[in-house]
Amino acid sequence: MAALITHSSILIIAIPLVTAFLTPLIGMASKKARNALVIAILTFVAFLVFALARDISINGIHIYTLGATSPDLTIPTGFMVPVRIILEVDGMSILMGIIWSIVTLAAAIFSLSHIASETGQNRFYTLLLLMVAGGFGMMFTSDLFNLFVFLEIASISGAALIAFRTKFADTQEGGFKYIVVSAIASLMVLFAIGLLYAQYNLLNIGALAQVIQYTTPDKIALALLLIAFTMKAGMVPLHLWFPDAYSVAPASITGMLVITSHACMYAAFRVCFTLYGGMLDAPVVGWILIVFGLLSMFVGVTMAVFQKDVMRFMSYHAISQLGYMWVGVGVGLAVLGNPELVATYGRDAISGGVFHILNHAMYKPLLFFTGGALFHCTGTRDLTKMGGLAHKMKWTTILYIIGTLSISGIPPLNGFSSKILIYESVYQFHPILTITGIIVSILTLASFTKAFHSAFMGAELSEYKKVKEVPRSMIIAMVILAAGIVFITLFPSLIVNWTIHPAADALIDQSAYINAVTGAIP
Amino acid sequence: MTFILESGYAFWNPLIWIIVFIVVMVVVYFFRRRGQKKYKKDTAQARIFLCGEEVPEAEQRHIRVGNIYWGFFETLKEYYNQVLRPHTGIINDYVLWFVAATAISAIVLLIAGL
Repeated sequence: MAALITHSSILIIAIPLVTAFLTPLIGMASKKARNALVIAILTFVAFLVFALARDISINGIHIYTLGATSPDLTIPTGFMVPVRIILEVDGMSILMGIIWSIVTLAAAIFSLSHIASETGQNRFYTLLLLMVAGGFGMMFTSDLFNLFVFLEIASISGAALIAFRTKFADTQEGGFKYIVVSAIASLMVLFAIGLLYAQYNLLNIGALAQVIQYTTPDKIALALLLIAFTMKAGMVPLHLWFPDAYSVAPASITGMLVITSHACMYAAFRVCFTLYGGMLDAPVVGWILIVFGLLSMFVGVTMAVFQKDVMRFMSYHAISQLGYMWVGVGVGLAVLGNPELVATYGRDAISGGVFHILNHAMYKPLLFFTGGALFHCTGTRDLTKMGGLAHKMKWTTILYIIGTLSISGIPPLNGFSSKILIYESVYQFHPILTITGIIVSILTLASFTKAFHSAFMGAELSEYKKVKEVPRSMIIAMVILAAGIVFITLFPSLIVNWTIHPAADALIDQSAYINAVTGAIP
Repeated sequence: MTFILESGYAFWNPLIWIIVFIVVMVVVYFFRRRGQKKYKKDTAQARIFLCGEEVPEAEQRHIRVGNIYWGFFETLKEYYNQVLRPHTGIINDYVLWFVAATAISAIVLLIAGL
C-alpha cells in the first residue's frame, strides 16, 4: 500500500491514459467487457485519489519526480534547479482531483445508457479516458510545459467528444468552436511559457516562483496566461463559445467539461497565487478577477433566464456560478499583500470560492445530467415543447429539484453553505459584491422555477404518453452526485476543515509549494 | 461539531433548518388532513370555474416557457438588446473579444506597475 501511495500521483494520470488505448481493443471483443473495464478503472482511480488525499492530510504536500532514482529527488545531483517533470499535489490540487474523480466516474456510468444507441462507442470511451488523464495532469503537474500538454490533451479529446454525435449538425459547429478557442488559448499559454523560459531557463512552477522578478515580459506573460485560462473557463465576456459548445455535447460530457472549466480556473489561481504570488500587484489582479466574476454572475444568469433550450439554459447558469468562485478568490487575491486583511476576511473569501467549486461540481453536472435525461426521453432540448414530464420521470424530477435548490443557494442545501461564506467575507471588501451575489441567486431560483414549470409541471402531454423514466445507469449516476450534495449539506464543517481550508491555505502559502520542490535537495 | 459551519462572523447549522422544515411539513400535513373530504368527485364541485367561460383541456392549459416572465423581458428589453449583440455565433468575433481582453489586461498590468 505504501508503494501504491508513493506512485499514486503518476498512476492516477497513467492508468486512464493507458486504458484509453486498450479500450478499443477490448471493445472489439465485447462491449460489456469494455464498459466494465472503464467503470472499474475509474473506480480504482477514484480510490487512489482518496488514498492520496488521506496521505496529503497526514504528511503534507506529495511530490513525485519522474525518472528520478527516488520520487522525492526533485533536483538531480550536479544540478541547481529541477530539470525533470515533477508532479506536486497539495491541498488545492487534491481537492480538484477528488472532484474530477467523482464526476468522471458518474459521467462514465451515465454514458453507459445515454450513448448506448450511438455508433463509435469504442472511440467515445477512448476519448473520455484521455480527457480524464488530461484533467488529472492539469491538476497535479508543477511543470508549466506539462500543464500546456495536458491542457491540449483535455481540449482535443473534449472537442472530439462535443462533436461525437455526428448525426446532429450543431454538434460539429460546437466541436469546431471549442477546438478553435482551445487552440488559441493553448497557444497563448505556450507563448507565455516561452516568455518565462527565455528569461529564467525554468519550467517548474515552484522553482520559477522563487526567482521570478515581475519584469515587463513577466507582466505580459501573466496577462496571456490569465486571459487564456479565463477564456477556457468561460468567463464573461469571453464566454460566447461556452453555450454553443457545452449545450450540444452528450450530457455526460457536458458534466465533465464543466470540471475542465474548473481546471482552467485552478490553473489561473495557481498562476496568480503560486507562480507570481507576492511579486504581483495583488489588488490590480484581484480586481481583474472580481470584474470578470461580477460580469459572469450577472450576464450569465440574465442570459439563462432568456433561454428556451434546456442545455443552453444550464450552460449560462454554469457561467453565472463560475462568477461566484472568481469573486471569492479574487477578493482573497486582492488583499493577499495585507496579512491582517487575509486573516480578517481574505482566507474566508478564498475558502468560500473554493468551497463553491466543490459544490458546483456536484450540482451542475447533476443538472446537466437531468437535461440529458430530458433529451434522452423527449428527443428535444426545446423547453417550449416540453411539459408534464414529472408524471413519467419521477426520479429525474426529484433529482432536478435537489440540483435546483442547491444551485439557487436555498438552505439547507450545500450551495447555501458556500454562498454564505462568500457573501459574509466579500461584504467586508465591498458590499456591492454581496448584493450582486444575492440578486443573482434570486434570479437563479426564478429561472430554474421557470424551466421546472415548463418541463415537469402541468398535465401529461399527448406526445409524451409513451415516455418512460431514463435507464437505471443514468439514475445511478445522478444519484451519486445527489448523494454528494446531501453529504456536503449535512457535514459542511467536516468538508471545510478537511478539504476547503487546506486548499485555501495551499493557495495563500506560496512558500510551502516552493519549498516542497527546492527544499528537497539531497 | 461537524454540523456547524463557522463563517467567521456567524455560524450555519443545516440540522436546525432541516428540523424546522420537518416541523413545517408536519403542520401543513395536519391542516391538509382537516380539509373537506365529502365533496363529489367528477361533478361541478371539483371542476375549475373560470367566470363561466369554457375551460380548455388540461394539456392546453400548460403555460409554456415562452410565456413565462413576459413582463421581466419587456421591462429589460433594452438591456437584452445590448447584451445579445455580442452573441453573434461567429468564431471570429469570439477571438476578437479574446484579443481585446488580453490587450486591456496587459495594459492595465503594465500601467499599474509604473
